[in-house]
Amino acid sequence: MCAALVRLKAVNATPAVRPTTPDTGEAAANRARFEEEALKHLDALYRTALRMTRNPSDAEDLVQDALVRAYRFYDRFEQGTNFRAWLFKILTNTYINSYRRKQGRPQESSLEDTEEFFLYNQLSGNSGERVTDVEDTVLDTLGADSIQRAIDQLPPQFRTTVQLSDVEGLSYAEIAEATGVAKGTVMSRLFRGRRQLQRALWDQAQAAGFTSGSKVHGDASSDKGRPKTNGVVARAGGAQ
Amino acid sequence: MINCRNCVQALNPYLDRELSDDDIVEVRQHLEACGGCLHLYSFQESLRRLVRGRCLEQSAPESLRTRITVTFEMERLRFKQRRPRPPRGVQPN
Repeated sequence: MCAALVRLKAVNATPAVRPTTPDTGEAAANRARFEEEALKHLDALYRTALRMTRNPSDAEDLVQDALVRAYRFYDRFEQGTNFRAWLFKILTNTYINSYRRKQGRPQESSLEDTEEFFLYNQLSGNSGERVTDVEDTVLDTLGADSIQRAIDQLPPQFRTTVQLSDVEGLSYAEIAEATGVAKGTVMSRLFRGRRQLQRALWDQAQAAGFTSGSKVHGDASSDKGRPKTNGVVARAGGAQ
Repeated sequence: MINCRNCVQALNPYLDRELSDDDIVEVRQHLEACGGCLHLYSFQESLRRLVRGRCLEQSAPESLRTRITVTFEMERLRFKQRRPRPPRGVQPN
């Protein structure tokens, strides 16, 4: 960065010696458009990079590297096609080429596989009453950090796929392009990734000391006369 | 009308907005008629909202935004310098 800034200063200092073409015309307009569009996606790129690298400093470097590549390859972007998916594709490729190797073998996930609606079943539990909103459960006590930690527990390909779908809101087709797999693969990764995410969220809630499977029901039964879901929240808030 | 099993299978694609118009109608009709599936749907929908809402609280650090802006400026200069090449033998001071 420092060397680059020095170079930048040198260029500015010697306009007469080193002539530059004025930055006008179609190419310049394209670059301006790229910059504007790319910055709109910066938050999403950073969030996704953070899930990929699980490290803020690496995530920043990854986003920077990916955006430089995107800038230089922008003339290969087919106008009218999906710019967001294209950016995420470059992010994914940059990560695979430069960062994944550095990080070594991904740690094996220790998450148990679960049923598709694990949390719903877990929280509705033995009582007849069905919970219809996570806001009424211990899960609502989980902050952004805990939820991100839960996503980080997933194996890498599931993690990125779940992040792109459930957080960034990309379609199956966009995720397929971004991650370089078939749409069917996206769907199966989502299916398995979301099951594991529910287990990971449950683990986070337990790690925070708010609840355990049996305690929820124990508390609920000791709170007879109060609505079950409110009882759970009241307990969770007071437990610390 | 689709049964509960089909409806439950379609819930995630429905939440993902990946169903065809016909299938969307089928799922909606079933949810209107079936309390059990509606409960499950509401829960899953609220779970998505929780995960998404909390994660979207995170944005790129301001330092990264600045860094990217500087990077773009340097890339612009790089493009400008690419052509025409400066005459041979002429060096910046």
